[in-house]
Amino acid sequence: MRKTKTLLITPVVFLSVFFVAPVANTVFRYFRFSEFSNVLSNESLSGVAWFSLWQAAISTLLTLVIALPATWALSRYTFRGSRVTRGILTAPFVLPAVVVAAGVLAITDSRGVIPILWAHVVFNVSVVIRIVSPRWSMVNLRLEHAAATLGARPTRTFASVVWPQILDAVISAATLVFIYCFTSFGVIAILGGISRRTLESEIFTQAVRLGNTETATALAVLQAIIIGAVFFITRRSSRPHSTSLHVSAPQPLHIKPNRRATPLIITATAVIIVASPLLATIYRSLVVNSQISFSAWRLLFSGSLPALSVTPQSVIITSLVFAIATACICVPLALLVATASAPRALFSIPLAVSAATLGIGLIITFNTSPYAWRSERWFIPVIHAVIALPLVIRTLEPATHAIPASLRNASATLGASPFATWVQVELPLLKPALLRATGLSMAVSLGEFGATSFLSRSGSTTLPIAIAQLLGRPGVATQQAGFVLAALMVLVTVGVMSRA
Amino acid sequence: MKLTRTLIIASLVLLATACSSSSATTSTDATPNEVTLLAYDAFIPKEGIFDAFTAATGAKVKIVTGGDSGVLISKAILTAGTPEGDVLWGLDNTLLSRAQKAELLTSYEPVDYGDICVNYDKQWFTSHKIPTPSSLEDLVLPAYRGLLVTQDPVASSPGLGFLLGTIAHFGIDDWQDFWTSLKTNGVHIAPDWTTAYTIDFSGSSGKGKYPLVVSYGSSPPAEVLYAEKQIDTPPTAVIESTCFRQTEYVGALRGTRNPKLAAQLISYLLDIPFQESMPLSLFVFPINKKATLPNLFTKFATAPKNPLTLDPADIETNRDAWLNTWRDIIL
Repeated sequence: MRKTKTLLITPVVFLSVFFVAPVANTVFRYFRFSEFSNVLSNESLSGVAWFSLWQAAISTLLTLVIALPATWALSRYTFRGSRVTRGILTAPFVLPAVVVAAGVLAITDSRGVIPILWAHVVFNVSVVIRIVSPRWSMVNLRLEHAAATLGARPTRTFASVVWPQILDAVISAATLVFIYCFTSFGVIAILGGISRRTLESEIFTQAVRLGNTETATALAVLQAIIIGAVFFITRRSSRPHSTSLHVSAPQPLHIKPNRRATPLIITATAVIIVASPLLATIYRSLVVNSQISFSAWRLLFSGSLPALSVTPQSVIITSLVFAIATACICVPLALLVATASAPRALFSIPLAVSAATLGIGLIITFNTSPYAWRSERWFIPVIHAVIALPLVIRTLEPATHAIPASLRNASATLGASPFATWVQVELPLLKPALLRATGLSMAVSLGEFGATSFLSRSGSTTLPIAIAQLLGRPGVATQQAGFVLAALMVLVTVGVMSRA
Repeated sequence: MKLTRTLIIASLVLLATACSSSSATTSTDATPNEVTLLAYDAFIPKEGIFDAFTAATGAKVKIVTGGDSGVLISKAILTAGTPEGDVLWGLDNTLLSRAQKAELLTSYEPVDYGDICVNYDKQWFTSHKIPTPSSLEDLVLPAYRGLLVTQDPVASSPGLGFLLGTIAHFGIDDWQDFWTSLKTNGVHIAPDWTTAYTIDFSGSSGKGKYPLVVSYGSSPPAEVLYAEKQIDTPPTAVIESTCFRQTEYVGALRGTRNPKLAAQLISYLLDIPFQESMPLSLFVFPINKKATLPNLFTKFATAPKNPLTLDPADIETNRDAWLNTWRDIIL
């Protein structure tokens, strides 16, 4: 145990510098108790808090209902198109909120609670699949078979054999989904109309639109307290009673399910719900005045974008460089944390802090030399890594925890050094989880539009920014080019995710 | 527990060094052959337009963008005195007073102007055989019920401009009645310009339900310039009497390390070559009277002689109260 602590030095220093310091700086500078009590007694603001809570609860529930059966199907069976299905279900996480929300809007044609819930489901199904699937695929099939042999019906087998083993991952995923929906910003901005506001969107409004930094900070503290309470509750209910699982490696996938139709129907339902807004994006990139037109796509491949002074290639390369840099920073740090089995709560703190608060902290902390990093290029992937870290740790943790100590002990008994054990025994077992973690950190980087939107850029236009810029100008051609970039993001990520 | 302590200590050490360094170093030498222009994301100047500036002064112009104008100005104000650049582009008359209060700039000058106006879908009105509305008052008539989409004035600068225009037109005491009628008449509030113009509005790419939209006086020429297939006339036009004037300013940031270059860049931005490049790259009117307008602008862009205006100081004093009243009426 002594040794594992040293693993944590780098992640702790990293978070202290790039997260704790800026956030603490914001709070020290702008938090006033008087403003906090004003906020608490303000009826309209407590209404905002209440709406944030209940829509997040319902969004989480719906996401689980749709995602868990699909997770089961994808972790247990392989069928024609199962890879593409996984790609489609996990792709939306990468997409900027403006794309998904515009897709939902194209179908529902109205704003309000239902479109918000839908968009939240579209975004978060991927979170559940990514976190629960690695664990589920490691649940030893022999246990299920044994239960069946002993006469347990499938429901009973699930409830007493499978569920206890995946519960930890499910709670972990549900907590994340809840927090993402609770702090939802982009989706709310587009689909909420003006009457539906979350605490996060109100923090942004107060800080940026109205210039009331003190009100914004008070709201951010309130939001952090609520999220802290959610963590506390879920942590208590997920005390691992499944520390040592009867697993060794991902279990083989059934090629021919017994009741072939069930997994197919289940995944098809999830795919329809998730994919229709994405298809709407592709539709908008192809159809102009109810006629099919490839002109915007041709424009893209000819290497120019209307109204922007950057080429599509440079936009795509910039985004990819940031995404790869983010993964290179984030995955090793997350692996250190997951291996050291550090208290999860500590490294989940970034989730509790509003993006606007972090953004303000970054610009007021890193504004003077020698720490004048706010407009440095490398600063963006670093902050992306901070934001991705809690999520990536959660992707890795179920897998690292599932490695039985007996394997490590056996390896040590056979004379392997801890490092050799790690390389030859643990890494191969962690490979699928590591691949997912890499994909996920790249995804966060590609889609992040919160804290880093406070950072200034010089000649480093990323995809979400280019899309927002193109959609933010009049003219059919610019609009269509925006949808082409969005559709390109959809297609490429579906492609990448179906291989990862 | 040990871990938490390490974390706290580490952050305190960092904070201490950060604070001490901020008081110690105010002026460091910068590369004198570069001047930084801070601007909003939509600031996309004509390519190569700063080459002449570099040729004349030997300094390159580095453009640093950071969010929309609201985000940009809020950020700049939070770090007033330790600026990210030398010159700021993007302050308009609705934000000017806030910047003055924070002493953000050492000097500033108007650089361009444009109007926020109700745009209409020409074809919709022709095919429905309804005359186009010609005034703000018309918008509350039953004939125009459920036809207008505007933006949330809290989040969107055209939305705010339209609200301010109605206040300028109807006066401090009567604008509330206008908005009550507008609400009864089915005005739709979109969260931002993009949604309103590209999804809700029927006259552009989205083919939405609303043939009237709050946008810019320069939106019609943009429709021609960025048309999907070449067109001679825009599918949209502007209702002139609804236009609210927006003036943008350019200024030297307090704390700049290159005050001389900053001043040179500002005069370059106000000079004819740059001013003439603005209409078709930034879709605004040049403030310099000697600049000639491109054809597309003289034909299709609108900038009325007597637009609706409000004093920036009035806007700053009353904005929060007006927005709250507006929310009470609309929500």
